[in-house]
Amino acid sequence: MRETFTKGMARNIYYGGGVFFFLVLIGLTVDTVRGLPKTDNSQNLTEEVAAGKRLWEINNCIGCHTLLGEGAYFAPELGNVYTRFGESTDAIKGFIMSRPKDGIPGRRSMPQFNFTPDELEEIAQFLKYVDGIKVARDWPPNKEG
Amino acid sequence: MKYQSQSIAKLYFIAAIGLFVGQILFGVTLGLQYVIGDFLFPEIPFNVARMVHTNLLIVWLLFGFMGSAYYLVPEESERELYAPWLAKLMFWIFLIAGALTILGYLMVPYATLAEITMNDLLPTMGREFLEQPTITKIGIVIVALAFLFNIGMTILTGRKTVISLVLLTGLIGLAVFFLFSFYNPDNVVMDKYFWWFVVHLWVEGVWELIMAAMLAYVLIKVTGVDREVIEKWLYIIIAMALISGLIGTGHHFFWIGAPDYWQWLGSIFSAIEPIPFFMMTLFAFNVVNKRRRDHPNKAAVLWALGTAVMAFLGAGVWGFLHTLAPVNFYTHGTQITAAHGHMAFYGAYVMVILTMISYSMPLMRGKQAGNARAQVIEMWSFWLMTVAMVFITLFLTGAGILQVYLQRYSDTPLGFMATQDKLEIFYWAREGAGVIFLIGLFLYIYSFFAKGEDVVMPEAAVAS
Amino acid sequence: MMKSETSKNNEQQLKNASNAALASLLNLTILPVISFIALLFIYKKTQPGNIDHYHAVLGIKINITAALALFLVSTLMIVLGGFHSPWTWVYVITYFTIVHTIFIVFAIWALVRSWSGDKLRSKHN
Repeated sequence: MRETFTKGMARNIYYGGGVFFFLVLIGLTVDTVRGLPKTDNSQNLTEEVAAGKRLWEINNCIGCHTLLGEGAYFAPELGNVYTRFGESTDAIKGFIMSRPKDGIPGRRSMPQFNFTPDELEEIAQFLKYVDGIKVARDWPPNKEG
Repeated sequence: MKYQSQSIAKLYFIAAIGLFVGQILFGVTLGLQYVIGDFLFPEIPFNVARMVHTNLLIVWLLFGFMGSAYYLVPEESERELYAPWLAKLMFWIFLIAGALTILGYLMVPYATLAEITMNDLLPTMGREFLEQPTITKIGIVIVALAFLFNIGMTILTGRKTVISLVLLTGLIGLAVFFLFSFYNPDNVVMDKYFWWFVVHLWVEGVWELIMAAMLAYVLIKVTGVDREVIEKWLYIIIAMALISGLIGTGHHFFWIGAPDYWQWLGSIFSAIEPIPFFMMTLFAFNVVNKRRRDHPNKAAVLWALGTAVMAFLGAGVWGFLHTLAPVNFYTHGTQITAAHGHMAFYGAYVMVILTMISYSMPLMRGKQAGNARAQVIEMWSFWLMTVAMVFITLFLTGAGILQVYLQRYSDTPLGFMATQDKLEIFYWAREGAGVIFLIGLFLYIYSFFAKGEDVVMPEAAVAS
Repeated sequence: MMKSETSKNNEQQLKNASNAALASLLNLTILPVISFIALLFIYKKTQPGNIDHYHAVLGIKINITAALALFLVSTLMIVLGGFHSPWTWVYVITYFTIVHTIFIVFAIWALVRSWSGDKLRSKHN
């Protein structure tokens, strides 16, 4: 911090840099949002999927699982669970239904949510939709997530 | 303490520390659930405990930021707080709203909480860190607005310093970016993209402004170094924080369905994200080295230096460790992320608030500094918590590397749960470190009550 | 005359000292090898007993120790643990990251001390 570098210059870098890069972020955001329909699988975003997303949220699934790598790291990644379960929504539904109410002694276990058949279908369709999102390099590295 | 209304900070700090204890108790519970999977199941399942752990953290950090602002702003502005009654009222509103929310998490199933808080009207719940019922979110906005009004009026009608203006900018940013938490589209990619406008632009953006301002304030006070010098450092640090951090948001857009160019932008800009933290270390070391006085509050100086180093370590180094896209391809969403998250939050935000508390609490209790014994105990708590956090981070890093190798890198990848079984030793070690952290925290609280001989500040050092 | 020359000399020493400490820090971070060569050139300009000499030597010592602690030990871990064992990488990556950081923090402190013309341990005045 030599004397030739004044506080005024530092302040200008802060304001200039901050404003400039904020504008760049906005520009890139506009570009990203415009381009999303190519990757975001929105053509398959049905009412049922939206209802599934709501169920995903109000049961706090993200509190244990990751979805596309974001969430908690206590339970498996679900962004690719449709692929991992052999592209079968029935397998997903079967797994959710099969969870014991009181857990498994000494082990981690998903709670029993007592979903109705409609709700199960919605959740499964939601996970299928997420699996259909075109993610760069087809992340995760393999089907184990 | 020069102004009566500064003492409102005490209320906020006590609440912050109380919630901090709750956060760590749930942290230790979560650590145990990692190794004893059915611990407290189904009464307090992992997701509930985690939600309490992270939400308590956010709430107590907000209490800490607000308390710090209420202490710092009157002194910087050279006037009493604009509306002390409003600060007190908001304290109770925020505390009650926060407590009710946490109780809601614990007492009823989350889906029931969503139902009784009418999440359907404006669904915002169930996204990581933003689990609060919509009504609580609205409450947070109201409290934040009242707080900003109070702080803003105090600053605008008083002396305007660089520190208070930077702090105000950071706090306004905090409130503004929180508004993105009300945007929850059905499109998962859009949801994730704008979710980061809260989370990333908070912790790797505007919170850094708040943190740097608080650190600069304490360093002026304890070292007596010329304000001009400190302000220049402050500007350049926050300039680097915004220059790197804004486009650095891109490191979260690698694998969520956003365009590929984010891999380049995110990698390059987040590679320079350690620089502001690096400069913070350089800054703190430099002004402490050039100090004009030896402040009797040695504990506060230790916290200030510790903040700079640990923020660099947790946010800077551990962030850089997994931020480049080719690395992140393997590490995204593993225990590496957890390792980084723990040390970054502790090193940057927890420690800067504890620095502020350490400096201001004795003054609010009518002393220059805590008594000698209290300071020794406080410094012990510093080392216990900090070293414990380093070990939590190291164990989680070890777990993460093994997880990446077994589950993602290997030619014959194991499944998630099979991999988790192999990580058990790390999780046990982490739990041990977590218990040490908790002991350090209890010691920290005890330091406020420890009796001993008063430390007196030399006359010359009282000025300014 | 004498006095001004001494102060000029001191100024030059201070400059050399901070350049040496900076080169040492850069070698540990973003500009390895090149910075070390620069550090050796600064070292050649200095006289034993002066502060710039002290910081040049300190920088060289820090960097050689760091090189040994980081590369030699990591290589040993890989040789002994085996390249294809996950546990090797658990140790190597964790060890490398934390130890590297410790050296960087140490070099930051050395840089700060060089700015004030102090040795690492001499009393502050």
